Amino acid sequence: MLSIKNISKSFAGNVVLKDISMEIVPESIVGIAGPSGGGKSTLLRCIQGLNTVDSGQILCDSKIGFMFQDFQLFPHMTVWQNILYAAKLEKNKSIYELEELAHGLLKKLDIESLVERYPGNLSGGQKQRVALARSLMLQPDLLLCDEPTSGLDIATMGEVVDLLKSVCSKQTAMIIASHDLDFLTRIADRIFLIKNGQIIAHMVVKDLKDPIGYLRTLYGKS
Amino acid sequence: MNFVDWTFIGSGAKVTLELLFGGLSIGVPLSIILVILKRKNLGTWLINPYISIIRGTPLILQLSLIYFASPGILGIKFTVLEAGIIAFALNNSAYMAEILRAGVDSVPKGQFEAAETLKISTFYTWKDIILPQVLANILPAFTNEIITLLKETALIATIGGADIMRKSQMLAAEQFTYFAPLCIAGFLYYILAVLVEFLAKKLEKKIHHA
Repeated sequence: MLSIKNISKSFAGNVVLKDISMEIVPESIVGIAGPSGGGKSTLLRCIQGLNTVDSGQILCDSKIGFMFQDFQLFPHMTVWQNILYAAKLEKNKSIYELEELAHGLLKKLDIESLVERYPGNLSGGQKQRVALARSLMLQPDLLLCDEPTSGLDIATMGEVVDLLKSVCSKQTAMIIASHDLDFLTRIADRIFLIKNGQIIAHMVVKDLKDPIGYLRTLYGKS
Repeated sequence: MNFVDWTFIGSGAKVTLELLFGGLSIGVPLSIILVILKRKNLGTWLINPYISIIRGTPLILQLSLIYFASPGILGIKFTVLEAGIIAFALNNSAYMAEILRAGVDSVPKGQFEAAETLKISTFYTWKDIILPQVLANILPAFTNEIITLLKETALIATIGGADIMRKSQMLAAEQFTYFAPLCIAGFLYYILAVLVEFLAKKLEKKIHHA
C-alpha cells in the first residue's frame, strides 16, 4: 500500500533524510523511532506530501490520514464541526451516513459529551481524540501519527495505545513517529530506528525479548 | 442663542455614510485582492510602492488630486461624491491590506497544512478555515480603520461635499455662531463611531471563543 524507495531530503544544505526505503503493508503498525531532529517528522511529511523529496520515490495507492503533533484543530469550530467539516466537503456520503459515522467514532473515542465545545476548552488528551476522529472521518487506509504521546501523561499514553490499536483493527495501517520507545514497543509490529536521517535498524517487535533494551543500545551508537 | 436646525446638519449624514460605505465596499475587496496578489508574489513591484505612497501622503492631497487634477490628466471629471469614494477606497485599501496581511501571517502554518491533509480545497481552506481566524485576529484593527475612515470623510468638505462637517460650517456661517453647529456635527460623528464600535463588539463576541 505504501512503498518508499531511496528517498532523500535536505533543507538548506542540511541533510534530513538520507536514502530511506521501506514497505508498509495493510493492517500493520509501523513505528518510527529516533531522537528529536532525527528526521521522523520529515519522513511523515514527505509521505503525506507536505514536503517534497529531493530524490527517490514514494509510491502510494492508499488514502492517507495525518495526525499532527500539535493536533491543529480548527479553533473557530466546535468539536462536531471539526470532525464533520472536511468529510462533508468530500460529498461521497450523505449527511445522514456521515453523522452516523461521526457518532460511532465519538462513542468509541468517548468524546460524545464534547461535541459543542471549542478546541480551546479541551485538554491535550481530548484534543488528540478529536484530531483522531477528524482524520478517521475520511476513512483513511493509512494513518500517519506524528508524536502522538507528546504532551500526554503516562495514563493517557496507555489510552492512546488502546485507541490506536482499536482503530487499526479496522483495516487501517499506521505509521507512528515517536521518540517514546516504551510507547512504540507497546503498539508497533515493526520499528524503524532513524538517526541523523538514516535508518540504522529495523526490527520486528515480537521477535525480540527486550525490544526497548535493544533500541536503547542502538540509540547510543551512531 | 439662535435656534440651530440640527436636521439640516443631520441631512449631511447621508453623504458621510455614502462615502463611508462606498469607500469600504470598494476598499476592502481591493485590499483582499492586493493581499492575495502579494502572497502569490504577483505585481509586488507595483503593490508595494502603491501601499507605501498611499500611506505616506496626506489623504487631503490624494482627494484633491483625484478631484482637481483628474480632468486635466485623465480627461475625466468626477463628481464630488465619486472623487470622494475613489480617494477613500484607495486610501482604505492600502491600510486594510497591511492589516489583512498581518492577520493572515498570524494564522499558524499548521492550519493550512491540516486543511491540506484533510483534502480541503484552496477555496474552502481560505473561506472556512483561514479567513474566519484572520477576521477574529484583525477585528480590533479593522474597527479602528473603519472609525478612522468615518472621521476622515469630513475631508470631503474641502472639495465641497455637503456632508455633516460641511453642513455644520454652512449653518455656522449663516447664523454667525460656531459652537452649537460644530457640537451637533461632533455629536453625530460620535454616535456613528459608537455604532460601529457596538457592531464590532457584537461581531467579536460572536466569533471569539474561549
